[in-house]
Amino acid sequence: MTKSIMKTSRALAVAMVVGIASLSSTGCTERSAVTWHEPGVYKGGDDPLLAKQKDSQQIAALQERLVMGQSDR
Amino acid sequence: MKLIKKRDLTATETASVTSRVLGSMVDRRAFLRRAGLGLGGTAVAATLPMTMIHRAQAAPSAGAGGDVEIRKSVCTHCSVGCGVVAEIQNGVWTGQEPDFDSPFNMGGHCAKGASVREHGHGERRLKYPMKLDGGKWTRVSWQQAIDEIGDQVLDIRKRSGPDSVYWLGSAKFSNEQAYLFRKFAALWGTNNVDHQARICHSTTVAGVANTWGYGAMTNSYNDMHNCKAMFFIGSNAAEAHPVAMQHILRGKENGAKMIVVDPRFTRTAAHADQYVRIRPGTDVPLIWGMLWHIFENGWEDTRYIKQRVYGMDEIRTEVAKWTPDVVENVCGVPEEDVKLAAQTMAENRPGTIVWCMGGTQHTIGNNNTRAYCALQLALGNIGVSGGGANIFRGHDNVQGATDLGVLSHTLPGYYGLAEGSWKHWARVWDLDYDWVAGRFDSGYVDTAADVEEGQAPVPFADPMNSAGIPVSRWIDGVLEDSRLIDQRDQLKAMFFWGHAPNSQTRGPEMKTALETLELVVVIDPYPTHTAVLPDRKEGMYLLPAATQFETYGSVTASNRSLQWRDKLIDPLFESLPDHTIMYKLASKLGFANELTKHIKVENDEPLVEDVLREINRGMWTIGYTGQSPERLKLHMANKHTFNVTTLKAEGGPCDGDYYGLPWPSWGTPEMKHPGTPVLYDTSKSVAEGGLNFRARFGVEHNGVNLLAEDSYSKGAEIKDGYPEFTADMLKQLGWWDDLTAEEKQAAEGKNWKTDLSGGIQRVAIKHGCAPFGNAKARCVVWTFPDPVPVHREPLYTSRRDLVDKYPTYEDVKSHYRLPTRYESIQAKDYSVDYPLIHTSGRLVEYEGGGEESRSNPWLAELQQEMFAEINPADANDASIRDGQWIWLEGPEGGRIKIKAMVTRRVARGVVFTPFHFGGWFEGKDLLDKYPEGAAPYVRGEACNTAFTYGYDSVTQMQETKASLCKIIAA
Amino acid sequence: MARMKFLCDAERCIECNGCVTACKNEHEVPWGVNRRRVVTLDDGVPGEKSISVACMHCTDAPCAAVCPVDCFYTTDDGVVLHDKDLCIGCGYCFYACPFGAPQFPQKEAFGVRGKMDKCTFCAGGPEEDNSAAEREKYGRNRIAEGKLPLCAEMCSTKALLAGDGDMVADIYRDRITKRGGRPETWGWETAYKKSDA
Ligand code: SF4
Ligand code: SF4
Ligand code: SF4
Repeated sequence: MTKSIMKTSRALAVAMVVGIASLSSTGCTERSAVTWHEPGVYKGGDDPLLAKQKDSQQIAALQERLVMGQSDR
Repeated sequence: MKLIKKRDLTATETASVTSRVLGSMVDRRAFLRRAGLGLGGTAVAATLPMTMIHRAQAAPSAGAGGDVEIRKSVCTHCSVGCGVVAEIQNGVWTGQEPDFDSPFNMGGHCAKGASVREHGHGERRLKYPMKLDGGKWTRVSWQQAIDEIGDQVLDIRKRSGPDSVYWLGSAKFSNEQAYLFRKFAALWGTNNVDHQARICHSTTVAGVANTWGYGAMTNSYNDMHNCKAMFFIGSNAAEAHPVAMQHILRGKENGAKMIVVDPRFTRTAAHADQYVRIRPGTDVPLIWGMLWHIFENGWEDTRYIKQRVYGMDEIRTEVAKWTPDVVENVCGVPEEDVKLAAQTMAENRPGTIVWCMGGTQHTIGNNNTRAYCALQLALGNIGVSGGGANIFRGHDNVQGATDLGVLSHTLPGYYGLAEGSWKHWARVWDLDYDWVAGRFDSGYVDTAADVEEGQAPVPFADPMNSAGIPVSRWIDGVLEDSRLIDQRDQLKAMFFWGHAPNSQTRGPEMKTALETLELVVVIDPYPTHTAVLPDRKEGMYLLPAATQFETYGSVTASNRSLQWRDKLIDPLFESLPDHTIMYKLASKLGFANELTKHIKVENDEPLVEDVLREINRGMWTIGYTGQSPERLKLHMANKHTFNVTTLKAEGGPCDGDYYGLPWPSWGTPEMKHPGTPVLYDTSKSVAEGGLNFRARFGVEHNGVNLLAEDSYSKGAEIKDGYPEFTADMLKQLGWWDDLTAEEKQAAEGKNWKTDLSGGIQRVAIKHGCAPFGNAKARCVVWTFPDPVPVHREPLYTSRRDLVDKYPTYEDVKSHYRLPTRYESIQAKDYSVDYPLIHTSGRLVEYEGGGEESRSNPWLAELQQEMFAEINPADANDASIRDGQWIWLEGPEGGRIKIKAMVTRRVARGVVFTPFHFGGWFEGKDLLDKYPEGAAPYVRGEACNTAFTYGYDSVTQMQETKASLCKIIAA
Repeated sequence: MARMKFLCDAERCIECNGCVTACKNEHEVPWGVNRRRVVTLDDGVPGEKSISVACMHCTDAPCAAVCPVDCFYTTDDGVVLHDKDLCIGCGYCFYACPFGAPQFPQKEAFGVRGKMDKCTFCAGGPEEDNSAAEREKYGRNRIAEGKLPLCAEMCSTKALLAGDGDMVADIYRDRITKRGGRPETWGWETAYKKSDA
């Protein structure tokens, strides 16, 4: 695991907090077209995939599939 | 490689450099993508939401994965036979997954295979039966279409005889449909039936079968993992058989040396260790040039030749004429290159040879294929794993359709047109031979005028036992003076049943022929070029056929393995499976009961399994007898148990079988023969898939023994050559009592090909022998125009200086019923006005005439315009720039308007065009002549509009690899 | 944690466009948009090489760095995704991307730029996995189904590899050892940085 990825994931966590905060404060369901620029800070919706990717079974499944499908058997 | 150098650049630096590189790059795709920009926005964008609708309809609840059903089929785009895995939801084909289990593709697909799900959308399909009415396409019912068509052909039959109706079948048929189609033509009473094999590998089949027995690929794609050398000549596997490259490159990674001989520097050549550029049409000189070095250095396998080859000395005599300087003069290849290729092949055994249309489509195609065989025989490379003649077939089922005899000169199983063969099949069909014979023409013209003048009836070739008109020449069957055609009358009606006319040469004459016919019927998933080429007002029908994904049945890959396709989805729109259409038409024409006497029919659909069982009962010659539907289905369900190199099942329910039971799978299904993975391989017993060369040409010729000497397959009880098995031979050997009582009854007076019990084959194999005997391969085919393959210049040649020394044939009065011209064409010098050699070939995205693939937006987007590859020097000579419109004109006057692609891929003096385009004619887009909504996304000139006369001296293969042309700016 | 990577083995790539078409098929990508392309160098002359290129899912994604509305995010396994609801289709990312990956669907030949579309590593976008909304905007989410990118899984010659970077490197290294060539992991250092490649 490299630094850069960790940095990105931390940034992601921050972004989520900001997203939720802005929603609750305006009470508006439509996402506003956020334009202030903070490099590396994600301002979009949550991706449920992120949680799934932490699942060790999911990781193992993908690795198994790689060997089965893409190596020369 | 250029991009590697950019490794050390930072991201931003790379950004600018890469965009610059990408931006200025003129590869074929970048070039064409730019050219076709407008199309994406207008014509196509409007149709795209449709595909989304299909998927949305099928998936009513978001993310509902539970109702996804997996069904398996086989790609319909080439003979590699890649497995296709489909996800079906509510009857809609919603997803396509890689078939990792298939030992052929292990999940891989080329662009065509990766796009087959679009068949389930079929937006540009022909949707209903249609008829041309006052120049307009009008929708009609199936019943009306069949009735009207039937009435017209019955009327033609009455007036002009059964031979005036031409049944042009297809390599897109399943095996069962192919068989039923050939039977259909026989019961109609004609041999005027043919399919794509005529214009793809007919010269291979004729040349190779006449050399060692069978005309098919000897080994398999997978077996190329075992090669030490791979010699490609006239084969561009990277575009024509892309997934084969997985096996080829694995072979290369295992250490095999790869040589590519081609007039073009192809994508395949880009992967070769040695590339040899030859002048189109000089295959024989190149091969003889290599053999010259082989003989000169004593690299030939003398023991093998002595034991298993007849006539090598005569080859030696011819080869002696091809000294390095002569070869260089004729082929344009310097001595060191020829020698290097020969040496590579000699020092790296076993080595394989691969050839395709670059070798076959010539007036001397049969000479080319036999020369290739001679090279391999000299090196002792046939009958060994890693060696062989790996002849890559084209269409997905062209091997099967050939085996099942959709050809004007054979019956199913290569039983020749002769009384014995007809009687064999009449027995299998359980029909009275005399009734079948009565369906054919009488064989003489007995007109009122003749009688008045007191003349005898004018006889012509026996209609039942003479080869019919081949697909390459159907236009002559329409246009030639009827007195010069060896049948009662000209062709009056044509059925294009899964066949694109733009794959045949002489476009302008074809247009006239299509306008001359009384009746034109297209049966196809798409309207095809046929629908738009002629200017007609009526007399034309389009009947929508289902694709192979909408029905089921078996298909034979290039390596002779049979695979079973599931039905993925119901036929789209009003389309019907081909065998259902055959049944409907046969009902109208009055022979449906005979066609399906022992085949169950439900709702006009003959039961596919029953058809295969009938095939199994009759195809003894090539061992299509062991592949019962049950065995094939078992293989499909257990694909993952087969070894990807040997194709042999290791454990599991198919243990010991070879994948798809590659023919010959001898005897009855109950005998459980495992199939033959490598033909003529004596290291295995026949029962385990071993073989030796076939005894097909007698036991001696001019006093020389034709049987094998001291060579036999493992475990054979006859430890020498032997002739083919007959009942009498079993008796002489004392093996007769190995037959059961029942078998004895069936076998009496029969041979291995005609004994319907399979007993003769069973007993021969029990004693370790090959049912077809054990002989030598022959390098001299004494029944052919050139017994020893020789070089002859193409009819339209630019090397006039070589015509005297290597002239073509004399004109022939009747060949396949038609006068066939050779020297009368070559006599005239066209090379001044038409100085460039014109040759043709494939693109990876498209297949055949291309109608299906050009109607698939995922493929069409990748190749939007018809073009010609032109060498920079020739372009400059003609003041033509890259990307500009040009006219390309052939010496017979056919001209096409296309884009120029200036590239060094072709040599100076050679112009290459791809053959998949259609829907244009001589500068005009025929868009408005298609039925509404059924025009392919991409249309373009058919290169064959500019291609010319020229046919192989044995098979009538058309010459499309060496003609002439000129190019001018448009 | 696995780091997802693409690798295209130029010795195996035959420019067959299987990968490009597989992507079109899987995600119903409209005409004119190409999440993946095959690039050929020295076309038609000895030395001709092809590489299949898409978004490489870079470690420090330059597209994300320049996006004025910050619509990019990177998953834990290194896949760079974006939120189309935020994207304004400005095209900055296209200029920043070393691989020319971002695509802009066009309604008409010279019409307005739509939202940016690019390769998702078959991992969809920030919507419910494999929901209708996700499919429509981003295509299928194979990763959520436990599958890998279809372009690689369907590559005709197994030239294109996709998945856990270490394992991809292993598969590739085996091949290199066998054929005795030099590794040519085209694009890896640009995309994944030295430390990571
Ligand atoms: S066209 Fe041939 S190589 Fe391509 S996917 Fe189909 S069967 Fe395989
Ligand atoms: S990973 Fe998926 S989205 Fe990306 S190019 Fe491959 S198929 Fe297309
Ligand atoms: S499918 Fe594989 S071989 Fe074909 S172009 Fe894509 S990466 Fe290359």
